[in-house]
Amino acid sequence: MEPAWLLQCLLNGLSIGAVYAVFAMGYTLVFSILGIINFAHGAVFTLGAYLTYALSVGHFGINGLLADVSLPATLPFFPALIVGSLLAGLAGMGVERLAFKPLRDRGADPLLALVSSLGVALIVVNLIQYLVGAEIYSFPADIFGNLPMAVIFKIGGKPVAVRTIQIILFAASLVMLAGLGWFISRTRGGKALLATAENPDTASLLGISVNRFILGTFFISGLLGGLSGTLIGASFGISGPYFGVAYGLKGLAVIVLGGLGSIPGAVAGGLVIGLGEALLPADMSSYKEAVAFVLLFAILLIRPQGLLGGRLEQKV
Amino acid sequence: MSFFLDNYGFLLVTVVQQALLGLSIYFPLMAGQLSLASIGFYSLGGYVAAIMGTHPYFAPWREALGFCIYPVQWFFALVLGVVLGVAVGYPALRLRGIYLALATVAFVQVVNVAVLNMPIAGGAVGIFGIPQAFESRVDYIWFFGPLFLIAMLLVRRVGTVGAGLPFFAVREDELAAGAMGVPTTRTKITAFVLGCALAAVTGAMSAPFLNTWNARQGTFDASVTCLAYVLIGGSRSMWGPLFGAALLVSLPELLRPLKDSRMILNGVVLVAACVYLPRGIMGGLGGALAVLRARAAKSQGGPA
Repeated sequence: MEPAWLLQCLLNGLSIGAVYAVFAMGYTLVFSILGIINFAHGAVFTLGAYLTYALSVGHFGINGLLADVSLPATLPFFPALIVGSLLAGLAGMGVERLAFKPLRDRGADPLLALVSSLGVALIVVNLIQYLVGAEIYSFPADIFGNLPMAVIFKIGGKPVAVRTIQIILFAASLVMLAGLGWFISRTRGGKALLATAENPDTASLLGISVNRFILGTFFISGLLGGLSGTLIGASFGISGPYFGVAYGLKGLAVIVLGGLGSIPGAVAGGLVIGLGEALLPADMSSYKEAVAFVLLFAILLIRPQGLLGGRLEQKV
Repeated sequence: MSFFLDNYGFLLVTVVQQALLGLSIYFPLMAGQLSLASIGFYSLGGYVAAIMGTHPYFAPWREALGFCIYPVQWFFALVLGVVLGVAVGYPALRLRGIYLALATVAFVQVVNVAVLNMPIAGGAVGIFGIPQAFESRVDYIWFFGPLFLIAMLLVRRVGTVGAGLPFFAVREDELAAGAMGVPTTRTKITAFVLGCALAAVTGAMSAPFLNTWNARQGTFDASVTCLAYVLIGGSRSMWGPLFGAALLVSLPELLRPLKDSRMILNGVVLVAACVYLPRGIMGGLGGALAVLRARAAKSQGGPA
């Protein structure tokens, strides 16, 4: 193996893996509090990408209801990214109110939340299609102003290229993960969140408003989803309203690989899958979409609790 | 009558076909195992039939067998379903609850990528022009109808005869069932493989019915839709999959005049059904019946 090739793969894998980690963290937060998978997370990811696109470009193509509408003003990419992610966070709160809270209030089978959250995902995805059509949207090449497209350096005479967007993916993901880590371990709100995750009943006895924290968790989860959706969209283009579905499923592989409900596990899982995809030999690239799921299946058979998960206890 | 069949015959056949997929999820659920693998087996079964129906290699078979090629296709799909079901189920059923569900989601995705990469399956375009068994689509009820009856009889047998009670024992409490001497692993695998085989045969029957077959038949969304049939119909009743499929298949047809916004309403229906019918249609009916009976008993002066 050539060092230049290996380094290129590692860089590619780290940048995409970091985004997977941010996205998967959205699943993890909800899972650690409710013990259920939010199948609408992929739709929020898609929504975030479209929102940022709308804010930074201002208008959409010729199909859909919004064909002739354009925003009076547009934002530069980074402010648009932040506003778009915050709006996706609000959408995450909407998911909780529509798909999760009514079921909790009625004491329904937790399995039903899988279906109701998928129902919300259907609504969001088809609403996007209805409004802006199913075509591919790519962010314009000059969204980062006059930064160069890529940095190229040489190792052993072979060129290694790092695209600017890759650096941005990695940096934005690191900032997000660090911020989240600080929030959870250093602030009162984060501690309350952990307490709610540990035991909602006890937390509520201790004066924590559980419903408010669940809502807050969905906000953060939606924010992470929208941010990662925008980053992936800026890197590879938005390939239609269904583009979040594949990433939504891949995110599931990430959290199971790392250990369901484990926050460091989501980071580890994201990096492992990103690197696994990047290290796949070029002649097998059509199998890239299967890497995450083969890894998922393998880890479930070898170590069902995931790389960093705690021991699974059997209830008697 | 003929007007009705012309307009709604296809819809009726589709309801039975989708109810079969619902039943294929209901089987493992009877033993308490949430598996979303069915749609992968449905996809593979369809490919078996599509390849045997169109590939030149099978041309002599088709000539020799005539109409009997269809049962042969079902048989091959059945064998594939059972063999692969045991191979996947044996390791996967060590897992419980959400882990098993996610492992089966992974299985479905791997099947999808594998199929897309197999030249014989026609890549992303898939296989078209699959020979039709009947002139009218409505006649496919002679395929799906008997299969549905057989599947329902199996469910009934499993649910009422001694041989089937282990299913429910494992569903209610796996550890206790094991302690009572129920072979839990074998029970879970039987339930899982029954579902896989049913889905594979349904797929083999559906390929000629739908005329084309491609990887979109086996998407994740489709597998959750099958789960929705069971949950919205009522996950504790054998009639649940049929009622759920009838509601969720016919509703989009009734909403057809709404065109593009139809899919949005589909999502609204899923959410509303989860919120307002948390025990499914059958569960809701059962609850309503119990209330009526209690009222009747009260009005007769008996103990409420």
